[in-house]
Amino acid sequence: MRILLIEDDETTAGYIAKGLREEGHVVDHASNGRDGMFLAMSEPFDVIVTDRMLPGPDGLSIIRAIRLAEIATPVLMLTALGDVEKRVEGLEAGADDYLGKPFAFAELRARIRALARRPSGPPAEQSVLGLGELRMDLLQRTVTRGARKLDLLPTEWRLLEFLMRHPGEVITRTMLLEKVWDFSFDPTTNVVDVHVSRLRRKLDLPGEAPMIRTVRGAGYALSAPGTEG
Amino acid sequence: MRHLSSFALRAATVSAAVMLVLSLLGSYWGWWRAEGALRQQLDLAIAAEAEGFVREFEETGLRGLAISVDTYARRRGPLFVAVLAPDGRVIAGRLPQAPPPLRGFANLPGTGERPSLRVLGGTLPGGGTLLVAADLTPVDKAAMALAWTPPMAGGAAALLAMILGFVAAGRMERRLSSASDAARDVMEGDLTRRLPLSGRDDEFDRLTETFNVLLGRIEALMIAQRQVTDDIAHDLRSPLSRLRQLLEGALAGPRDPAADAAMLERGMAELDAVLSSFSALLRIARAESGVLRQGFSPVDLSVLVETSAEIYTPVAEEAGKTLRTEIAPGITLQGDAALLRQAVVNLIENAVNHGGPHIALRLRPGPVIEVEDDGPGIPAEEREAAIRRFHRLDRSRSMPGTGLGLALVAAAARAHDGTLVLEEGAGGRGLRVRLKLAL
Repeated sequence: MRILLIEDDETTAGYIAKGLREEGHVVDHASNGRDGMFLAMSEPFDVIVTDRMLPGPDGLSIIRAIRLAEIATPVLMLTALGDVEKRVEGLEAGADDYLGKPFAFAELRARIRALARRPSGPPAEQSVLGLGELRMDLLQRTVTRGARKLDLLPTEWRLLEFLMRHPGEVITRTMLLEKVWDFSFDPTTNVVDVHVSRLRRKLDLPGEAPMIRTVRGAGYALSAPGTEG
Repeated sequence: MRHLSSFALRAATVSAAVMLVLSLLGSYWGWWRAEGALRQQLDLAIAAEAEGFVREFEETGLRGLAISVDTYARRRGPLFVAVLAPDGRVIAGRLPQAPPPLRGFANLPGTGERPSLRVLGGTLPGGGTLLVAADLTPVDKAAMALAWTPPMAGGAAALLAMILGFVAAGRMERRLSSASDAARDVMEGDLTRRLPLSGRDDEFDRLTETFNVLLGRIEALMIAQRQVTDDIAHDLRSPLSRLRQLLEGALAGPRDPAADAAMLERGMAELDAVLSSFSALLRIARAESGVLRQGFSPVDLSVLVETSAEIYTPVAEEAGKTLRTEIAPGITLQGDAALLRQAVVNLIENAVNHGGPHIALRLRPGPVIEVEDDGPGIPAEEREAAIRRFHRLDRSRSMPGTGLGLALVAAAARAHDGTLVLEEGAGGRGLRVRLKLAL
C-alpha cells in the first residue's frame, strides 16, 4: 500500500514510517501541513495518516480541503492525549478514523488495514452479511452458522455484525470499544474479552473450526475457517 | 479630589452650562415679548384717552378741551395730556418734556431726570395739536422684572446641578474605587474576593453581580487547574520514579534478552498506567472547566443506562456477581453523552471491582442514577475522600484502576449541575452511590 504520513514530530514520524515500511508499505512523509496537503492533492494514496496539530494548515484543514477536491482516500487522524472529545470534530471534517497518541503500533496497523479494506464510497445497503458458512440476516435479525441458528443477545449481535463487516481484519480492543460500544475511554474491567468469549462460545461449538481468532498483543479477527490463521 | 475629573461631574457641568445658556436666551426672549405686550397695552390706553379728548373738543370746542385737559393734568392721572397752539406753545395741560408737534405715535427718549415717553399726537381742526403721552418707565421696569426670572431660576438650577454632580461624582468614585480595590486584590491572588454590592439593586449592582459571577468562574477554573497540577505532581511522580528506577536497574545489570524483554514490558505497563491517569486527569479537568456545556445535546439516559447494563451484565457474571436493573423509561436530559456514559460505566465497574456479589443499577426520574452493592462499603469518614482524585482505599490498591473513577463521576455530576453522594446501602450494608443530575 502507498501511505501518506503527515506528522511534524520527527521521532513519531520515524517510528510510524519504520513500522509501516517493515510491513511492506510505501510511506511518503510530509513534515508540515503545506507539503502534506500538496502531496495529498497531487498523488494517489491508499491511506492518509495525518496529525491534527501541524505547522501550516492543520490536519482538519487538510481533510476539509481534500474532501472538497473530492478525493475519497481514507484518512486516519492522530491526536494528542486527552483530545478525545475533539473526535467528533475530526470525523465531521471528513476523517474516517481517529487515534489518540500515544498508541501501540499494533493499534495503528489494525486501523490502517481496516481503512484500506473499506470499500470506497458509502457502504452498500446490505440486508444479509455472509462469511463462510456464517450468515447474518439484518432484516429478519437471525444468524446461522451452517444449519445451526445462533441465539445472540443485543451486545453480542452488535459485536458479531461489526466483525462480519471487517472479515479477516485484526480488530483491536480499543476499536471494538469505540465502534461497537461507543466507549472513548479505557474500562478497568475485561469487558471486551468477556463479550468476545461469550460470542465465541455460541459461534464456535466444540468440534467446529474456530472462526474468531485471538491475535496476541493486538486483538481479534473473524474469518471463515481455512481462509486465514 | 480625583473625582473632579469624574464622569458624573462632567455631565453635571455640561448640563449646568446648557441650563445657563438656555435661561439667558429665555430671559431675552421673555423681556422682548413682555415689553411688546405692555407697550401694546399702553398704546391702547393712550389711544382711548385721546379719543375721549377729541370727543370733548368736538362737543365743546378748543376752549372746553383746554379746560378739561387742565383738569386732567391737575388730577395727575397716569397719562400726560397737553394741547399745543399751532405755533407749538402749550395752551393747556403739561408734559415732562418739551413736546414737538407730531401726528401718530412716537417715542421720546428720556433725558436726565425726565422719563422716556410714549406720545400720541393729533392735529385739531383749526391748527392746534393734542398730545397724549405715557411714562415708559413702569413698562420697562415690569419687562425687566419678568426678564430676570428665567436667569435666576436657571442659575439656581445650574448651581444645584453642579452640587448634585459633585456629590454623585464622590459617591461613584467611592463605589468604583471599592470595586477596583477588590479587582486588584483578585489580581494579586486573592481569588475568593468579590466586589461589594450596595444592596440598592441599581445598574451598578447588576454590573457588580455579573462581575462576581465572572470572578466565581475564574476562581473555579483556577482551583481546578491548581488541583490538576497538584495531582500530577503528587501522584504521577511515584509511578514515574518507579519507572526510572526500573530502567536504571536494568541498564546497570548484564544484558540478557529475556530479562530485558520482561523489563521493557514492565516499563510499558507502568507507562501505560501513567498515560491513562494523565488522560483521565485531562478529562476531569475538561469536565470541570465547564467547556463541555457548549456541546450539550439531548441524551436519552434510559437507553444509555440500559445499554451499559446490557454490556456489563456478562462482565458481572464472569466476576461471580449479579447485576440487577430498575430503569425508568423515557428519561432524557441535556448533557454530554460520552461523559455520562463513562460516569455510568465507572460506577458499575467500581461495584464489579470492589463491591459485593449483588449489584443493583437504578435510574429514577430526577434523573437519579444509583448503583448499590452489598460489599464492604466505604466507612462514613472516608466517603468524602473517596471522591477525590487518586484516592484509593487501602484494600483496593491491588485492584485495577487509576483512583480517578469516582473523581470523574463527581466531575460529570458537576458538569451537569448535579451531585454525587456516597451512602450506606440497604440495611446499613454495602455502598450506594447516587448520581443526581439536573434536567
